[in-house]
Amino acid sequence: MKDIITQIFEIEHKIKKEDQSVFKRNFQRIYHELELNGYIVINPVGQRYDERDVSIEANILNDLKASLMITKVLKPIIYKEEDGKRVLIQKAVVIVE
Amino acid sequence: MENINFGIDLGTTNSGIGKFQSGKIQLYKNPVGFKDTLPSVVAYRNERILIGDKARELAILQPGNVFSSFKRKMGSEHHYEVKALKENKTAVDFSALILRELLSFVGDEKPTSAVITIPASFDTIQSNATKLAGHQAGLTEVVLLQEPIAACLAYANTQNIDLDDTKIWLVYDFGGGTFDVALVKIDHRELKVIDHEGNNFLGGLDIDHLIVEHLICPILEKQLDVSQLWKSMVSAENAPHYKMFVELLYKAEEAKKELSLKEKAFIELDLDERLIEIELNRTQLNELIHKKVEETIRLTQHLLEKNNIEHEEIERIILVGGTTYIPYIKERLFASFGSVIDSSIDPTTAIIVGASYYAGTKMKLLKSASVPENEAIKRTDVKLVYEINSQDSEELLTALVANDFSGYYRIIRTDGGFDTGMTPFHSRFNEFLKLIPKSINFFGVKIFDQTQQLIFEKDNLSINHGIYNISGQPLPNDICLELDDNLGTTYLERIFRKNDILPLSKKIYKTISKTILKGSGEKLIINIVEGKAETSPASNLCIGYLEIDAADLDANLLKGSDLEIDFEISESRDLKVGLYISAIDLEINEVFNASTRQVSLDKLRTELEQSLQNIEYEIEIFGHHERFDIVDLLDEIRIEVIELLKILIDLEDDVVTDKIYNVDERKRKAFQQFDQLVRKKNLVGEIEEYQALKIEIKEELFLKPNARLEQVFNNLVKKEQQFLNSDQISVIKSKTKELQKIAHELYYQNDEAYVNLFYQYACKDLAEYSNEGQAKNLITKGEHAIAAGSYPEVKAIISSMYNLLKVKPKDYFEDKNGTLGLR
Repeated sequence: MKDIITQIFEIEHKIKKEDQSVFKRNFQRIYHELELNGYIVINPVGQRYDERDVSIEANILNDLKASLMITKVLKPIIYKEEDGKRVLIQKAVVIVE
Repeated sequence: MENINFGIDLGTTNSGIGKFQSGKIQLYKNPVGFKDTLPSVVAYRNERILIGDKARELAILQPGNVFSSFKRKMGSEHHYEVKALKENKTAVDFSALILRELLSFVGDEKPTSAVITIPASFDTIQSNATKLAGHQAGLTEVVLLQEPIAACLAYANTQNIDLDDTKIWLVYDFGGGTFDVALVKIDHRELKVIDHEGNNFLGGLDIDHLIVEHLICPILEKQLDVSQLWKSMVSAENAPHYKMFVELLYKAEEAKKELSLKEKAFIELDLDERLIEIELNRTQLNELIHKKVEETIRLTQHLLEKNNIEHEEIERIILVGGTTYIPYIKERLFASFGSVIDSSIDPTTAIIVGASYYAGTKMKLLKSASVPENEAIKRTDVKLVYEINSQDSEELLTALVANDFSGYYRIIRTDGGFDTGMTPFHSRFNEFLKLIPKSINFFGVKIFDQTQQLIFEKDNLSINHGIYNISGQPLPNDICLELDDNLGTTYLERIFRKNDILPLSKKIYKTISKTILKGSGEKLIINIVEGKAETSPASNLCIGYLEIDAADLDANLLKGSDLEIDFEISESRDLKVGLYISAIDLEINEVFNASTRQVSLDKLRTELEQSLQNIEYEIEIFGHHERFDIVDLLDEIRIEVIELLKILIDLEDDVVTDKIYNVDERKRKAFQQFDQLVRKKNLVGEIEEYQALKIEIKEELFLKPNARLEQVFNNLVKKEQQFLNSDQISVIKSKTKELQKIAHELYYQNDEAYVNLFYQYACKDLAEYSNEGQAKNLITKGEHAIAAGSYPEVKAIISSMYNLLKVKPKDYFEDKNGTLGLR
């Protein structure tokens, strides 16, 4: 399932900016249905880099900046909730700069 | 005596731990990220000690504080300077940290003995250094095992290969960063490494680099019209291209994995708003890695030659390390040596599995001392201060430890997405815990002394994010949406719960429950009420009412179309409803003010008329049970409803007065009284009917098993706690209907059931059939077929009679069309 979610995420991000509004509702619905089935999908783009956040696998480009940010997400974070217990099933693959 | 049971692969690139248990191996997953292996990397950042994935990613950022491949320096005098600590560390210190981390994967059971694997090349000093690392990590007993032997044990045990004969195996270990090959002689269950060869700087990562340099870069150079791309990517000075390199490296690794399974793989790159697609095939990859693979074959060949071993003497080549997933490697090995290539087990965990099998046969020599830290864990002078509810993305945890304590703490979120790493502190510490939005976050807090022995543990420290807000106003009642059920009636679905804190928002998806044709006069009704979700819809206060008239539609709205509804309630209790139907691209946004009541005359009349029938039915039931006290009360309600219906007739032309609100108020009061009188009885009755039918079906399934129906039945019953406790009569009723459907299908499993059905058709008035003569003829034929016991014929005759019927009987189980139009 996580591979399917990653493909959905990729398709979502392949859409050109000007066309994104056309598909917005469809993606909202997909993520809503995934959530009902226990899958929580998080896109960490724009977050500050935090070495304690082990839900991401960061590729850090340089250390020139004081504050490192996640600038690109190749795979999203996916958690699966089952019987009230949440488990990380996919780490995000991100670029930090 | 007890066996050691725990096996550890302390690898150059990755490590892992397993346990021998009842003849099988259990691999312990890293609670942070849930992988089978842990990268053998240690990093120091912001005073924290990070181990594994997180340490590895810091290598570029702070190379002076990140340490990997230290296994190569085991037993040497080499000292690593840790800039963050201004201290020197050895490979043994780092290995001890890795081992301690692996041991923490085990959970409550604290291993005191373990088998640790070492490369075949390790000398006595290196071996002893590994033992020392084990002791530093808290193990009292360490047994060493050579990696190739571990690999052989893994293969032999998982496949039950007989090791009694004399034979030679070749262990080909091609990992992420290193290559090793070893000859293992098996002689009457004794395994011995004869000799080995290797290259410490040859691994899967080199292949990823080759893919980027030779397969991707040339294409990109053409597409982007640039030259020397590879050079500009790997020179650290050119940051923009370095970013591209990082992304390409990741994509190359993914493509490499895909090419192990398929003939083709695609790499997609989004560069400056340009989408570039690169196709790679297995032949290209094979040509690319040919030289690297040949290098490993040369090393293997050299190993055989120097030990005077002919190819035919190699009984089997066993594969270890992730790079051996590549099919070309297997092909080349077979072509070069002609032996059996065994890749039957996961090559990335083979060493752990082998070490654990060995540990399962090895008796503990040292009696495990009683573990003093268990006593220490009882330490109670630790105070943890934190907010249980939070609206922030991070929440502060403060810990206070008495008596001038110095040591380390570590906090892990139990979903595996957050880990502070080992962090030193004195007396108190503050840590902002990262929260997953709109859910309960559980954390495990551990405190260690200066020797990193556990002295305090708190599991399941929970912080709710966004579920409760302390500052806002609570909702006084449930906010619900009225929906059609499949029985032709309506019920309430709770959108927001009583005591939820304002402001609130939610998106839900529903389907259209009846076809609304353009200009048909039908309506789609959105009715939002405030009250109690489990009561009848009409007994609640309407706070938002929307009618979408068929006349206003641009296209037909078909049953089954999807409907998206957004709800928002502000702190001042304004209700905002957004409605979107994608099938006809209809979007409606409406704001309902809390001070304006929403009453529809038509809906009011329908509700009153329907309730009248229900009240009369209940009067009959209670009268039958001689509950005349209740009959009297119900009669009063009946009179009130009739009175209200009379007033409504007068109100039809009244658009000025607010009498309609008064009628609505009185209606709700009457319905609430009615609910109070009958709801409990009806709810209990409905649950009893459900339970009785369930038992009946269970018995029937036991007597006449039917796998398909049993699965349908089990799926329904599995969720019964949820709907039986919903307090919603309509919901339970629809589930009982589903059970009835199963019972109906079970009944028609029996041939005799068709005899009854035949007579039902035969007893019908002949005028109901379109051709009376034909019907008569079928009845005679049917009677003969029953007498002859020819049930297939009976079934065929029933089918023909059904086709002859002028008015076909309605399917009881068919979902009824809704009155509102949404379900």
